[in-house]
Order: sequence, then structure tokens, then C-alpha cells
Amino acid sequence: MANLREREDHRELNIGIGGDLNIDNLADDKSKLNFDTGKDRGSTVLGKEEQLRDKDMGPKAGSSIHRSLSRPQLDLSGAAIQGNFEEKDPAILLPNQSDDISHLALDIGGSLIKLVYFSRHENQPVNDRRRKIIKARLGITNFNRRSFPILGGRLHFVKFETAKINECLDFIYSKQLHRGGMDSRSWQTEGPNTESTVIKATGGGAYKFADLFKDKLGISIEKEDEMNCLVSGANYLLKAIRHEAFTHMEGRKEFVQLDSNDLYPYLLVNIGSGVSIIKVDGEGVFERVSGTNVGGGTYWGLGKLLTKCKSFDELLELSQRGDNRTIDMLVGDIYGGMDYSKIGLSASTIASSFGKAISENKEIDDYRPEDISLSLLRMISYNIGQISYLNALRFGLKRIFFGGFFIRGHAYTMDTISFAVHFWSKGQAQAMFLRHEGFLGALGAFLSYEKHGLDDLLVHQFVERFPMGAPYIGGNVHGPPLGDLNEKISWMEKFVLKGTEITAPVPMLSPGTTGLGGFEVPSSRGDSLRPDASKLNVGVLHLIPSLEVFPLLADPKTYEPNTIDLSDHGELEYWFKVLSEHMPDLVDKAVASEGGTDDAKRRGDAFARAFSAHLARLMEEPSAYGKLGLAHLLELREECLREFHFHDAYRSIKQRENEASLAVLQDLLMELDSMDEESRLLTLIEGVLAANIFDWGSRACVDLYHKGTIIEIYRMSRDKMQRPWRVDDFDIFKERMFGSAEKKPHKYKRALLFVDNSGADIVLGMLPLARELLRRGTEVVLVGNSLPALNDVTAMELPEIVAEAAKHCDILRAAAEAGGLLVDAMINVQDSPRESSLSVPLMVVENGCGSPCIDLRQVSSELAAAAKDADLIVLEGMGRALHTNYNATFKCDALKVAMVKNQRLAAKLINGNIYDSVCRFEAATSPSPSLSFS
Amino acid sequence: MESVGTEAANMGEREFKSCDRDDVSHLSLDIGGSLIKMVYFSSGSSSPSDDQKDSYLNDGTNTSIGTSNYNGLREKLHFLKFETSKIDECIKFISSKHLRYYGGQDNKNLASEDNIIKATGGGAFKFADLFKEKLGIVLDKVDEMSCLVAGANFLLKAVNHEAFTYMDGRKDYVQINHKDLYPYLLVNVGSGVSMIKVDGDNEFERVSGTSVGGGTFWGLGRLLTKCQSFDELLELSRQGNNRVIDMLVGDIYGGTDYSKIGLTSTTIASSFGRAISANKELDDYRPEDVARSLLRMISNNIGQIAYLNALRFGLKRIIFGGFFIRGHAYTMDTISVAVDFWSKGEAKALFLRHEGFLGALGAFMNYEKNGFTDITHQFMEQSCEIAQDLVCKDEDL
Repeated sequence: MANLREREDHRELNIGIGGDLNIDNLADDKSKLNFDTGKDRGSTVLGKEEQLRDKDMGPKAGSSIHRSLSRPQLDLSGAAIQGNFEEKDPAILLPNQSDDISHLALDIGGSLIKLVYFSRHENQPVNDRRRKIIKARLGITNFNRRSFPILGGRLHFVKFETAKINECLDFIYSKQLHRGGMDSRSWQTEGPNTESTVIKATGGGAYKFADLFKDKLGISIEKEDEMNCLVSGANYLLKAIRHEAFTHMEGRKEFVQLDSNDLYPYLLVNIGSGVSIIKVDGEGVFERVSGTNVGGGTYWGLGKLLTKCKSFDELLELSQRGDNRTIDMLVGDIYGGMDYSKIGLSASTIASSFGKAISENKEIDDYRPEDISLSLLRMISYNIGQISYLNALRFGLKRIFFGGFFIRGHAYTMDTISFAVHFWSKGQAQAMFLRHEGFLGALGAFLSYEKHGLDDLLVHQFVERFPMGAPYIGGNVHGPPLGDLNEKISWMEKFVLKGTEITAPVPMLSPGTTGLGGFEVPSSRGDSLRPDASKLNVGVLHLIPSLEVFPLLADPKTYEPNTIDLSDHGELEYWFKVLSEHMPDLVDKAVASEGGTDDAKRRGDAFARAFSAHLARLMEEPSAYGKLGLAHLLELREECLREFHFHDAYRSIKQRENEASLAVLQDLLMELDSMDEESRLLTLIEGVLAANIFDWGSRACVDLYHKGTIIEIYRMSRDKMQRPWRVDDFDIFKERMFGSAEKKPHKYKRALLFVDNSGADIVLGMLPLARELLRRGTEVVLVGNSLPALNDVTAMELPEIVAEAAKHCDILRAAAEAGGLLVDAMINVQDSPRESSLSVPLMVVENGCGSPCIDLRQVSSELAAAAKDADLIVLEGMGRALHTNYNATFKCDALKVAMVKNQRLAAKLINGNIYDSVCRFEAATSPSPSLSFS
Repeated sequence: MESVGTEAANMGEREFKSCDRDDVSHLSLDIGGSLIKMVYFSSGSSSPSDDQKDSYLNDGTNTSIGTSNYNGLREKLHFLKFETSKIDECIKFISSKHLRYYGGQDNKNLASEDNIIKATGGGAFKFADLFKEKLGIVLDKVDEMSCLVAGANFLLKAVNHEAFTYMDGRKDYVQINHKDLYPYLLVNVGSGVSMIKVDGDNEFERVSGTSVGGGTFWGLGRLLTKCQSFDELLELSRQGNNRVIDMLVGDIYGGTDYSKIGLTSTTIASSFGRAISANKELDDYRPEDVARSLLRMISNNIGQIAYLNALRFGLKRIIFGGFFIRGHAYTMDTISVAVDFWSKGEAKALFLRHEGFLGALGAFMNYEKNGFTDITHQFMEQSCEIAQDLVCKDEDL
């Protein structure tokens, strides 16, 4: 084992990201959606794996990339009415149409058009029969008891300049968004989408451009009140998105977790062309208390006159290189460099915006446009902050949310506003910003559709994803909509060549150095580039109604999945380096898993570029995608792989390892059975730890294969597991299991085993432990990933492994039969589980994610259901037990078992070394500690 | 009515004659970022009509307040301004007037007391060395806020019909009861804007301010219109139409009001907002329209912030002073409308006839020695008795 310690750690490289497989759980609702029949009857029957592919992809045009993965977008060609023509509302057969239905709402402002559209994705159940049995077993009847289905799908956020409204019309047309008007009928069926299509819209342009939309797209625009929309959009975001709001002071973002029960009242400041200041007292209860005509339109309008910039963003970008001191008159200019400290004005305070443009003999051309833009930006931002604060003061409001497109995640703008609020309130009031700042109105308009079913969704049912190469990075549209993966890759190739923001070089500045202290003078001047990295990316919001909060969390409100805080820049850099270094190997494996074809190579390149760009982006602005934790980062990688249609890069490796491990399982079981109970338990835990070292990302593991058979290595590793381990609660666990002089043995009713890797880890580590629990009369639920994440074993693969193992073991077989697992794996078995067995059941559920880590706030409903009767949780492996959940507390007993295969983590977390072992046992926490306290 | 402040203010180019007949004394300065304001006292036997012949005083913004002492001598306070960038003119003027203590041109005694000028404004610090070097004068710096407040308090108490409201082109003088003067909000609109809550003779606090002030109007206006002076820019704005450049509520709502929240279609939704979408360059806009939009933007903003601060402290009276206003009708109108709109008619914007000289006057009040504070007392005591036409020369204000 000593040699192990010298080896490098690679395990963490294997960690990836969860997918949106959860939409699968909508299977139950599927029957209500008639348009699926088109697919059933049509000739274009799609394979299962197609359910997993990215729905943003459109029809492919003879591209091999799409092989089995693409599903056409709404395609009306070949449409025909099914059945009797006299029938009312006949279903239309769209043989070439996907089941993606999109819905659209608009916010047409003076400067920008914002779109929010919804695309629904009906995924086929991956493993329908198994799931039915599990559901029956777990007593899950009906997920949704509403009169209409809660829709799983995605919310997209896109914006256009109003001046280029034709681009917007093209986008809508090419995405066919205008075909999916959200009258109640088309939610249910693919009804006739003719002139009846009504699109909700807000903003002044909803009036102005109504005719244009009618003419070009046949859309009737239904106008929604602007303030209503703003407020309902803001309320919704603040309740639905966990880290929607953040503060921004001196270049530093802090996400704020708001208690949705304590949200009101607040002040909402929407900075569009002009500024509206709204006091919000509750759902639908609000008043526009103030506003100012000095807003985004002023910045852009004046800026355009003064600098000849062609776009708002160009103007904003100019400001980043500006020095306002050449134009603004500072207190120091008036006082000869001295402060006017008596009234709290420092020499660098702006006394008069543009005041210096007065006295000098200079013309407009003598000033740098950069400086002008910055002066203008400061003047307007500061003014808005001041007026907002004065209004908050009027009503005694402590929270001021700033939204609207003027802000655009621009660091300097936010800093200036924050500074103004902070300065004038003497720190009493706080300026907060919203990640979806520009989309409040459009989202509100979207929500005004009557039957969107989104009202009932809760924060844990949203997952935000950041597809790369999608045309709406950060809500910006970069060129024409992308039809398919092929176009996406081409686009990315061009994009990289252009060297625009996505692939911008990675500035290694630590966050905070760009902080400009708001009202103080910027630290940079002249030509030195001050990168404004803080623009936030707006992702695609996946709505997954089936996700639930894991019911056994002791305190879901304070639960934080990530153990390592990536806001520590050193930590961030380390993990980015780890992920970057592992990339070539990952790409090789991914390409190989797809047969190593040219197409696969091209996709592999695209993946590498995309993920590198993600990393670069996050390095530049760690908060770009919201609050960043290691779990998110690892999930991002898996998502990125899936985006480029690498669905299971480790498929063949996993299979090979499973087979090798299963081959020696019988020997191991015999050995275990020869032991007495107590030493067997120890050997089993040692076995879990030992098997956890079998790791395909790990070079150590690969080397080991050359040194002996898998069982020899396993035994050798196990024998090296000398106690005490670095974290060693084994004796407590043992006492709990077997009792002691004072305590009676505890018989667990049901255990949830969160499993990690394929191969030895599951087969030689966790399965024997499961077997031991079963033997002691405890029901066992194996919790596997919903989607592949590197070599982690998935819920889909588990039944097969269990079935194979059951061939060698009666205990497992009886339990698997009782749990209905053998239905899937064995042929000629009936749907219902055999009742002949008296064994407690062994079951498999999916956890709802596709990441090596797990966020227990968002788990599958079947896991949540399975958790109801569980009184023991076993979390195994680094991803689930260390990177995440190491500090999580549960309402039931929890055992966290992992081998630390990363020196840095070992040092940081357990003050230990690489290959140290962790066996942490925590008895149930009282469900509400606060109550027990009083 | 509007002529004051609309004439070109390039008095620096004038030739200053020596005013031999007056005993000129007790000069004080307010050296701001854009303008130098001067107040000095003269006494002499000259008749009022003689004074009016002084050409350099005929610039509409340069005025004097006169009173008579019991010796029959005319005593006057003179109000002058210079552009700060042309400070040499100011120095030349002081030099030409032989402005020394008691006007003693023969007094070669360089004892420090004789060479002190009370001064306020940031420039009192910045240009201290210059005055010392060129004139041998030591600038005795007086706190700016104190000066503003003292100046305003003096004017409001001493001068009849100093304050007035201005709405829809109508000027209404307001008689303020001395005993019911406090508290009020004093908004001094200079290059920047200071907002001061005044609770008594020497009780005040700077509660707010904004950097969007007269300097912004002039600075931005200069960049946008190539005007050579502040007053030229103001004059331009009189002829402008802001609808060309401002985005109105009606522009957004296709001509309709957004009446639900009380916005009419002519409300400005976004200042300069129309400059966005049009395919126009700066040169395609009339300077008049640009100046107008700019003036409205800044006036409205000052009015709004002032009102919000008045609201904070429950002040009904907001007094606007400072050189930005210059008695300019449209400026006052916009500020008044802003205060009226946001306060729903509850608060009133008041303006001062000597708006630009608050600081300089306050500095002047700071002369405490040699019985000179009597001057102020005289003004205060007599102001009620003095015939109105004697109080002020600038009838056409």
C-alpha cells in the first residue's frame, strides 16, 4: 500500500455533472399529451437515447453528428389531420414534428426586446417497467394531482436590440416559436395554430410593434401591464431561483439567499430606458412610487451623441478603459487637491459630473470616448442609486433590488449604484441585483399565461444549465439561431477564431482587484485595460417538476451541499488546473466511446473548446453562472459532454470492470461468510474503502491492474486499511449495529446506499455491504445516478449488476426478486414481483442527477419516496461523501465512507494525507433542533 | 422678466474703470469651480444714477443692494462674477479698484489685517498662492457651507421680496416671516449641488447633494453644442424643443398615455432616449434641442432629489440658489414642476434673486471686525423701512 501513497490522484478528475434526465419522471403525464401519438404512429420512431439529447438542436441536414441523437424541431411538413374531419379539434399528425412545443412571451422596450420562451421536452421513460415496480413498492401513486400537468421543460432567455427587431422576428420564425401560442388548448394538444396564436407581451413596444408582429408572423400580441409584469417576474425569480439576488460591492459579488417568506416589502428599481421605482408589498401588491427619466436610454443616447458608439454594449465596454477624472470635476479639483472633510467629501469625490468639460479649451474630439463613457456611466448610476435610496428611506425599506437592462451585470455600474446606496444610507440599506435582471418583464408576461403551471414550482425544481455555443450566451444573441449540433460546432469554430468573449484569455486576477470602490475614482487609467468580467451568464432554466428536497435533511434551509468554498481563489485555481489537466485524457476516452470516428473527434474537439471556455469564463468571473461550488463545476463538465453528445464516455470501461469484479465476487462472499459478525462488519467497511480506490480516472488504479488480479489487489488494499483511519467512527457504528453492554442492537428498517463507481467499488465494496444489511433484515435501496458521470454506476446499470451478482448469492437473489429488480435483468419474468420470497427487498432508485456529487436539495421523487421509511443513509465516495455532504446532517443515522484520493482535499478536510480513509458516522439529528433547544 | 442671466457673462473682457468716487472696502470672494463671485461694499457720496454709468456693472447679473446711512452717504453692496478660468480678470479688477482695507490706496502698510480678503469656495484654497503672489492678499478661508447658509439667511431676512416661486412663467414673490423661516432646505446649485438643511442662524447640516449640477449642464452642453459660454447655452435652450431627443412616454406607448401610473404621453420617459434609435449623429440635432433636453434633465433631477430630501425631513420650503439657475425661466420652471409633481403640490420650490452670491455674501458677513458687522445689521434693520426701489437695482430681474 505504501506505493499507493506515492501515486498521483486523479479521481476527482472523474467527477461530472448531472443531466436533466429528471424530465423522465414526467412519464406519467405523457399520456395526456396527445401529440405524442404522432410519433407512435409515424414512421420516425426514435431510439431511446434520443430522449437524452439536447433539445436545442434542430433538424439535422444530413449531418452524421446527429446519428441517433437528434430529434427534429417542430416541423410541420407533412402535416395531416387525423381521423374524422368533422371532429372538433382534431389532432394533427405531424410526422416530422418533434414533441417540443415552445411558448413565448416578449418584453419590447425602447432599447431592447427580451424574449422568454419555453420549450417542453417529453422524455420517454428510460426504464418504464422497473420504475413502475419501484413506484408500486414505494407507494408512489401519482406525482401530479393537478388539473393540468406541470410541465417539464426549459425556459430560455434571449434579447435583441429593438432597433434590430427583424433579427428578433427571424429568431422567432426560425425557432418556430410563433407556432406554439400558449392558449390553453395548445398546452394540451397540438391544436391548430393558425391566426389564433396569441403571444403575451409587455413593454411599450408591445403597442408600437403589434402590427409588425401580426404582419410578419401572424402573431396577435396581447398586451400585459408593464409594472405587473416586472413585479411578478421579480417575485417569481426571487422565490424560484436559489441564488438569484446578489450584492456587488467593490467588485465583489455575494449571493444572497432570501427567505421567500420574508421577501416583502422591498423596493424594485427597474432601469430600462427610463427608471421605474416600485414598492412591492406582496404578490400582485405594488405601487410605482417614483422614477427618473435619467436611465439607460440617457446613457446610451448621450453616449451615442458623444462617442459615436454603435451599440450600448460597445459604449459600456469603452467605459471600462475610461478615466472619469479627465472630465468630471472632483472635490480635489475645486479644493486644490484637498478634501472637504468637514462634510465628508474626499478629494476624489465627484463634485460635478462633466464639470471639467467647462473650463478647458477643449472640444469634444479632445476627450477620449472612454473617459466620456465612464463619466456618463458614473453620473447616471450614482444618480439612480441616490434616488432609489431616498425612496427606500421614505418607506423604510432596507432591500432595494435593481433590475433592468441598463445594468447588464456590469461591475462598474453595480459598484456605483451600490456605493451610492451604501454611502447615503450609511450602510443601512443594501443594493441587490438580479441575475436575470433584464428579463423581469418578459418573465412576468410569460407568467401571465393562465395555464403555464409554473406557479406551483418551487426552488428545488429548477436547474439552470449553461449550454455552450447556444446562441444566447448571457442572453446575447451571437448570430443566427443554430439549427443543429453541426451548426453549433461550426459556429464555435468561428467563434474561437474571432477570439470573442467566450474564448477570451483567462485573466488570473484575483477577484476584488477590479473593485473600484464605487464613487471613488477608478484605479485604472489611461490605456490600461480594466477587464469587466462580471457580466453574468443567463442560462437555460430547466423546469423539472419531479425534483424534490431530500426529506431526510435535518435542516434544508441551511443545507449547503458543497464542502469546499470555491470563493477562495486559490481553491478555485487548483480545481481549474485539475480539470484542465485531465481534459485531454477525458476527450480521448469520450472520442473512443463513440468509436473514434472523425465525427466523434470533431465533437471531442468542440467539447474541449467549450469546456475550456467555461473554465476560462469562470476563472474570470467565478460568479458568472451563479454561486459556484465544486459540485457545480463537476456537473458542468458532464453537462458539457452531453451537450456534444457524449452520453457515456466510460461505457465500455465500466462494463469491463463490472465483469472482472463480478467474476471474483463469489470468492469474496465465501471469505466473508467464514467470519463472525463483528469482524465481518469491519472487513466489509474496509472493503468499501478499499474498493473505493478502484477508480478509472486514477493512474494508481490502472497500474494496479498490471500487478495482479482484481481480487488480489482488493484484498491487498483492504489489508492495508489499518485502523485507526483518519476519521474513524467505526466503533460507534458497530455498537449501533450490534449493541453493547448498555445498548441494544439497532435493527435498521431501510438503508439508502448512495453508490459511487462501477466495477470493484460497487461489486466488491457496496454490494457485500448491502448483502449484510439485507441479511440483518434491513431493506436496502441502492441509489444510483440518473445519468452517467464518468465511471459512476448509474441506476440503469444497477439492476443488471445485481442480477449478475444474484447468480452467486441467494441472499441477493431473494432480495432482488422481492425488490423487483430481476424483472429487468432476467428474461421471462412477469411484471409483478414474485411473492414467493420472504426476503426484505433490495431496490434501486435513481438520484435525479448526472454528477459525481449530489445536491440533496434536488433529488428525484423516487429517491424522496424511498427516503420516507429509511433510517440509515450510507454515502460512499469522494463526490457524494466528501466534496458534497461531508457536513450535511440528517434526520436519520448517516455513514459517510470514502477514501481520499486527493492530497489537497485530505489536507484541507481531515488534516491528513492522500489515501487516508474516512468513516464518519453520525446518529440521527433531531428534526428541528430549534424546537428541542427551547 | 427673463433677461437676467441670459446675457453673455463674459465680463472678463471688459475694461475696468477705476471707481474713484467710491470708498471700496470689505471685499469677499466665492471662488467656485466655474465662477468667481464677488461681493464688496462701497460708501460714498455718489448718487445712484452715477453708479449706473459704470458700464462693467451693467451685466445683468452684477447688481448691488443699496441703503443709506444717517450721514446721507450711499452705502452699497456690489455683486460681481467672473469665470474661474479667467481668474486673471478678477485679479485685475481687484487691483484696479485698489480694493484694500477701507479702500486705502495710500495705505502701504502691509500688516496682515489690511491684506486679508474673506473667501470661500474650493478656489479659496486652490488660488490662495496666486492672490498672495499677484496682489499680496491673503485669502482668509471661510467654510463654504457656513457662507452659503449665512448668505441665504441674510438675504431672506434682510431683503424684501428676495424669495419667489416660479411656475408656468409666473413669478410670485413670497413674503417670509422671519420668525417662521426655519427649518428649510437650501439647495445650492453650483457646479455641483449641495443640499443643506437649515435649522437656524448657525444651525445647518449638509444632508445631501448631487454631482449633476450646473457644471454638468455646462460641461455636457459644451461638448454637445460647442457653445462658448454658459449663458449662450442657456439662451440656446430657450429656443429648443426637447421632444426631438427625449424619449417620451408616448414614444414608447405609441402615442398613448400610461395613465395607470399617472404618466402622460408627454412625460419624459428617458432623457436623450431618442438619440439611441435614430440613425443620427450629433450634428444632425439642433444645438437648441440638445440644450433644452439637457436643461430639463438636470433641472428635473435636481428638483426631484431636493424634494426627496425635503420629504425626509418634513420640510415644506425648498430654496434654490446657486449660479446654475441664474433666473433662467425654464430652469426654474422645470425645477418647480419637478418639486410640484413629486410632492403632489405639497412642497414649493423657492428661488432667490441673489441666488449666485450666497457664498460670497456669507463670506462677507464673516467680517466681524471694526464694527463692520453693523452693515448687515443696518440692512436688516432698515430693510423694512427702505423704499422698495432703493433696495434693488435689477428691476428687470
